[in-house]
Amino acid sequence: MNRQIKNNLFTWAILMISCSLYVVPLPEFLSFFRPPWLSLSVIFFSIMTPAGFGVFSAFFIGLLADVVQGSIFGGHAMALSLIAYLSYRFHLQIRVFPMWQMMLSVLLMLLLNELLVLWIEGIKEQMTFNYIRWLGIVLGALIWPIFMAFLLNLKSKIL
Amino acid sequence: MPLSGEATTTRSRGQYSASKLLVSLIFSFGLMYLDHKDQYLNKVRSYISATTYPIYVVTNAPKNIFLNLKETMGQKEKIVIENQRLKTENITLSSKIQQIYKLEKENKRLHDLLDSKPKTEDIFVLAEIVAENPDPFKHRIIINKGSKDNVHVSQTVADSRGIIGHVIRDQIFGSEVLLITDPEHAIPIEVARTGLRSIALGIGSYEKIQLSYLAVNTDIQEGDILLTSGLGGQYPVGYPVAIIDKVSAQKGEPFLEVRAKPFAKLRNINEVWVIQRAVDEAIDFE
Repeated sequence: MNRQIKNNLFTWAILMISCSLYVVPLPEFLSFFRPPWLSLSVIFFSIMTPAGFGVFSAFFIGLLADVVQGSIFGGHAMALSLIAYLSYRFHLQIRVFPMWQMMLSVLLMLLLNELLVLWIEGIKEQMTFNYIRWLGIVLGALIWPIFMAFLLNLKSKIL
Repeated sequence: MPLSGEATTTRSRGQYSASKLLVSLIFSFGLMYLDHKDQYLNKVRSYISATTYPIYVVTNAPKNIFLNLKETMGQKEKIVIENQRLKTENITLSSKIQQIYKLEKENKRLHDLLDSKPKTEDIFVLAEIVAENPDPFKHRIIINKGSKDNVHVSQTVADSRGIIGHVIRDQIFGSEVLLITDPEHAIPIEVARTGLRSIALGIGSYEKIQLSYLAVNTDIQEGDILLTSGLGGQYPVGYPVAIIDKVSAQKGEPFLEVRAKPFAKLRNINEVWVIQRAVDEAIDFE
């Protein structure tokens, strides 16, 4: 029981930190290389700790992300719960994938997330489409091995 | 042979998860619909935003730590020099303010003579930027003052140089600001030299705003200063916005291509003023 509480605390602390990293003000040249920290953490927790992190948790952190960013209410919530479901559904397969396949599946999920968010934004206002915005997604998939190793390491050290 | 215990639980958990996804999707569609259609959800957003306060604290932590370090580690001489500079600046500014008192009094007297309503003073609230939109093509920022500090929708935001934008959504501990360079933003302006009125549009670059539909024979030149005209009732009158840095006429085109550079430093904003207009200045257009 105690361990479960610690686990949950760890999960939500990391989610909060990634939520804030995602909106931290950056200089202009760096703002094109902003990895989607929040989606990465959601994928990580649904793959690695599926017992403590589910679709509803992703939904709530998505609502929080919408409020923090000022986007349409429910947009990120929808996108994140979808990728949380997909990562949960395939977590046993993804876990045993070789690294490049794992990165590829992460890339696919990040792309899906971004497409959904873009599409939802397009309903509300003029959509700004530009290839540069996909840089962050690719970067996110590229840093996945480091991200995963770091979080696993941190988790085993803290808990 | 029956399924082993683990397999059963995994499968049932899987189905359970799918139904949870369905519920989440339905909920988020509902929320999006409500948020898009009407402003029912502003209250809910506002309450949730109270929980986002720790997030803003975390985003600002590196900057604050850095500033603290700089202050504590900074050499004494540097601080002394800065202090002297600030002192002289203070003296010049306060002597200018003396003039302003006089002018204000005179202005009020003249208004009394004309029997028109005097312009009451605007209130300024100091705020800091805590977050920005992760999309590099959306020029939107979040500042750390919200409805708790009387910051509300459509109030103007400026820095010490000029207009930055206006508040488009207020929450309890923070509010969202649309910058004048956002592609969805337009600000009514007036050229200080000629009194020509126009609208300046954001084009998604921090260094440029654009004046459209000015005829080729318009009296406008590089170096002209643009002030807010106050038309439309969104922005207060007479605040500096930008300086014209390019006027070019293409052959055969009926309109000039006019670009202006905003006075405010929009690229790295730190501290801003939220201008709260005195109530009786608000213009009723109906």
